[in-house]
Amino acid sequence: MRRDCEHLIPYIANELKESEHMAFVEHLKNCTECKKEYQELSQAWHALPFDYTEIEVPESLKGEVLGFVFDHKRKSGTETFMAKMSKLAMILKSQFTPVSASIVAVLLLAITGLGIANVQENNRHAENIPIEILTAIRLKAANQSHPGANGIAYIVQQGSEKNLVVQVNEFPDVEGSQVYQVWLLKDGKRENGGIFKPDENGFGLLTYQLAAGQTFDQIGITVEPDVNSSQPRGQKIAGS
Amino acid sequence: MKEKHDAELMRLVNEKHRHALDELYDRYIKLVYGFVMKFCNGNEDKTKEIVQLVFLRLWTTNSHYDPDQGSFVNWLLTITRNICIDYLRKEKRHTRHHQEKLEEIADPANAIEQRVNTNDIAMAKNKLPTAQRKLIDLLYWKGYSLSEIAKLEQEPLGTIKSRLHQALKGLRKHLELEDIK
Repeated sequence: MRRDCEHLIPYIANELKESEHMAFVEHLKNCTECKKEYQELSQAWHALPFDYTEIEVPESLKGEVLGFVFDHKRKSGTETFMAKMSKLAMILKSQFTPVSASIVAVLLLAITGLGIANVQENNRHAENIPIEILTAIRLKAANQSHPGANGIAYIVQQGSEKNLVVQVNEFPDVEGSQVYQVWLLKDGKRENGGIFKPDENGFGLLTYQLAAGQTFDQIGITVEPDVNSSQPRGQKIAGS
Repeated sequence: MKEKHDAELMRLVNEKHRHALDELYDRYIKLVYGFVMKFCNGNEDKTKEIVQLVFLRLWTTNSHYDPDQGSFVNWLLTITRNICIDYLRKEKRHTRHHQEKLEEIADPANAIEQRVNTNDIAMAKNKLPTAQRKLIDLLYWKGYSLSEIAKLEQEPLGTIKSRLHQALKGLRKHLELEDIK
């Protein structure tokens, strides 16, 4: 406990590593001492920015800023699929080790390949429909006993079909009939997002087809006693 | 009431409604501009670039503002400060050999600060011992990390941490924040 309390100052200064940050958020819930200190000190921390003079903002700035933002959007909107892929690779590179990043890249290529192969096999379409990654969501450990658990979820669109792809690393092994279940949280309601078991290295992969128009705010992954859960019964291991 | 409007506005921004970003700009540009200008020591070109990046981040971010986690202004300024720090770090990387010159850290007071002594937080800050004031300037406004400051000041990290603790405590006392809930 003592050691955890020492994280208060770097927590306020936003300098903790992600895993430490998550752990301290948990600690803060349980340690009344830290909670009280945090409330006091963070008030002072959040007062710091107001130490500046109000300066007249140049009128031309608005056009320049909003122009920059919306132009950027148009430019990125016309970016090619490959450019998007390489951008994603950059994001992954900054978040993962080269090894896990390349695993993800290989997997994505495999998924793309399989998707295209599937289309060709079914011969339903004259042309290949490109797969587009709409969003990448980072998954972080939600349970202090498994702080290393992590992963990434993608929403992948092909034609009008949307799929959720979840890839996780360092997940603890499951026993017997236990499985990991993905939950999609929307307006406080949890919906099933598929079931998977990780391999012996804690690596797991899941793809799940989203219903038309289905959206969600958050993702959570729990360990469930069997495959029959309609609501989470077990512990949360990771989430967005 | 206003928080609710901010949250709603930010939700619309997340959904890519341009008028919502336009309104956020009108509402907060003075705050963001003044903050970034101070962070950049009054450099207008840098300030403009960073302000553009801040609004780009608001437009493209996937994260949602959650009113339960604190006020919108705190959220906005945290994002703004992070972008300032990223920008400064990148710039420092380009001019590495100029980095860590003593003149950069010798005197935290600057021209802008001389003029702000009228506001509460500046007054409260001025009541702090010099070492604490300097720490806040290096950490908050110059974007140095706690361990970088420990190295610059040639003091143990623990000393720097407890100095920050004391500084925040002192600020709070001088601001008499007790009655603010």
